[in-house]
Amino acid sequence: MPAPPPDARSFRSEVVSVVPCGADAVLLTIRPEQRLPAIRASRFFMLRREDGLSPAIPRPFSIYRQHGDTIEFLIKVMGRGTSALAQCTPGMKLRTLGPLGNGWPTLSGGGAPWVMLAGGVGSAPFYMAIEQALAGMDSAPPAQRSDLVYLFGAAHKGFLYDVDAFERLGVRVHTATIDGSHGFQGNVLQLLGQLQRDGQLPERVRLLACGPERMLEAVAHFADERHLDCWLSLETLMGCGVGICNGCPIPTNPEGPRGSWGNVKCCVEGPVFKSTEILLGALH
Amino acid sequence: MARLETHVGPLRLRNPILSASGTFGHGLEMQHFAPPQTLGGLVSKTVTLKPRPGNPHPRIAETEAGLLNSIGLENRGIEAYLRDVLPSMANADCAVVTNIGGEKPEDFAAIAALLDSRPEVDALEVNLSCPNVQGGKLPFSTDAKLAESVIRGVRAVTTKPLFAKLSPNVTDIGEIARGCEAGGADAITAVNTLLGMSVDWRTGKPGLNTVVGGYSGSGVKPVALRCAFQCARAVKIPVIGCGGIARASDVLEFLVVGCSAVEVGTSCFSDPANLARLAAEIDALLDERGIADLASLIGSVRLPGPPVATCAPGAAPATSAGGGR
Ligand SMILES: Cc1cc2nc3c(=O)[nH]c(=O)nc-3n(C[C@H](O)[C@H](O)[C@H](O)COP(=O)(O)OP(=O)(O)OC[C@H]3O[C@@H](n4cnc5c(N)ncnc54)[C@H](O)[C@@H]3O)c2cc1C
Ligand SMILES: Cc1cc2nc3c(=O)[nH]c(=O)nc-3n(C[C@H](O)[C@H](O)[C@H](O)COP(=O)(O)O)c2cc1C
Ligand code: FES
Repeated sequence: MPAPPPDARSFRSEVVSVVPCGADAVLLTIRPEQRLPAIRASRFFMLRREDGLSPAIPRPFSIYRQHGDTIEFLIKVMGRGTSALAQCTPGMKLRTLGPLGNGWPTLSGGGAPWVMLAGGVGSAPFYMAIEQALAGMDSAPPAQRSDLVYLFGAAHKGFLYDVDAFERLGVRVHTATIDGSHGFQGNVLQLLGQLQRDGQLPERVRLLACGPERMLEAVAHFADERHLDCWLSLETLMGCGVGICNGCPIPTNPEGPRGSWGNVKCCVEGPVFKSTEILLGALH
Repeated sequence: MARLETHVGPLRLRNPILSASGTFGHGLEMQHFAPPQTLGGLVSKTVTLKPRPGNPHPRIAETEAGLLNSIGLENRGIEAYLRDVLPSMANADCAVVTNIGGEKPEDFAAIAALLDSRPEVDALEVNLSCPNVQGGKLPFSTDAKLAESVIRGVRAVTTKPLFAKLSPNVTDIGEIARGCEAGGADAITAVNTLLGMSVDWRTGKPGLNTVVGGYSGSGVKPVALRCAFQCARAVKIPVIGCGGIARASDVLEFLVVGCSAVEVGTSCFSDPANLARLAAEIDALLDERGIADLASLIGSVRLPGPPVATCAPGAAPATSAGGGR
């Protein structure tokens, strides 16, 4: 039976700062009771205020950045849980569960370029992905800056959260907005197609994507048609984050390596899946 | 240090805290968050004869004061449970309770027969009350005769302690509890989830794919407490309280109304490590009040006395159960 990761714990953290970011998000920095070891990008934490203002069920958030003894989250305000977190003030305590989930695969240097497709707040798991790929992951050769291409898309420039910080990482950054308010006009897949047609990117790329379900579905379809390696970081509804509620099923591809059971638990078997392992359309 | 030990029929528990079925995994998956030695027992997710894929997404929807679920008893079936889960429970340092479910009365007995010879299992909990199968009809927990016959069928094939888990979705839960007692249950677990639903008025979309599902969490506590109380009054066998328990004081409330132990479910999702802290918190509360033995609280509810007879000639003199007037 899938169990939560052995390094996951339940602990309190202290809110260090809450800084507005873009049109509707905040950067929330917290200091866990105990210093955490380095965390793999696209792993996540469950966060909850314990002063009665948060819903009873904690909410999942990707780790955005880690500095010294603090960790930072990029949180888009959606409803009750996220607005309670966005209204935290320094010194408050948060229940924190984690680190949870698997994180990105080894982003090795050499081979086809890694193209990272982020939709809106789906950018959260990519900041550290870029840092870690450049530093070298799991004893694999580090990626070169030119091997990492970050395509950041959103409906409007107000949702291109913290885009300057990504630019400062020194990798290739391109933006796309549906309304044309920043960068390419269109979505990230159209942008990718454009870059390939212009010869700025080869046909053979390795894809990582995080964003709304419909975007991930389109990315998976794109990868499938071209037989590209593609990993998706899913942001499904979660009830516990640790595998005990059975509330986060992702249907599996019956022909894929996980096809022996009809679904996987996003929280403990993901949130990162190879696009060929799962079926996304069934989620809505 | 108060004495926290409690007995549920023949089963001795180091403290009254058990996990509730379907909210803490099957086996030892959660031991980093709640080590078994901090618990009275671990109750598995419902195991069925055949694997069940469960219901489509969305299966959970949070509401103002609780959680709706329509998991649909997703599990890999008894064969996989016997092979992949139970062996790891051999050295679990707490009671191991396997919760079993079925579509037909025979299913329950068939699973119980397979578990009877397994030394890892300390007790069976018969889930008569899952609202997420058979279209929420709850056949086994709304008919005392049917409940009795399911329990009798299971009793016939096992000597393990048997808990009958009941539904709150009935008019007279005491009657169902009596049926289970007559069928040979060693304890009653009260209760499973309430039937509920949620809807987004803007989109018209229900929160659950199955529209209706099981409601649990802090909002159900008064209903669960009432059910546990009524069961405790109706039967001589022990009652295990369940529903909306999150804090040590919640546990003590269930004991006071007559429960010998409790199961904790939805609050594990707020913080799975909470389960491990409850016993120590209970101990602190009992110390504060100078109570040396948890058992002395069980059933200590002080009910108001019968109404004072005023004019009826020949009426027996009123006595006050609670006293103090
Ligand atoms: C592994 C993982 C990592 C995540 N990382 C981040 C992150 O880094 N930053 C971030 O801002 N968000 C992230 N999310 C999404 C975030 O958890 C949800 O936005 C949050 O739970 C919404 O809670 P709420 O109480 O504010 O909204 P609710 O009140 O629960 O819902 C408000 C509205 O948002 C919709 N909604 C709720 N949950 C989701 C969801 N998971 N996906 C899409 N729509 C949803 C609801 O349908 C509803 O319309 C992540 C989710 C997962 C599973
Ligand atoms: C997500 C979820 C799954 C559940 N699965 C089961 C189950 O498989 N078998 C069962 O007997 N009860 C199941 N229950 C019911 C709980 O065991 C418990 O009876 C109920 O939730 C009330 O307690 P609580 O308010 O503490 O959660 C489930 C409850 C939830 C929330
Ligand atoms: S969120 Fe509870 S099992 Fe995945």
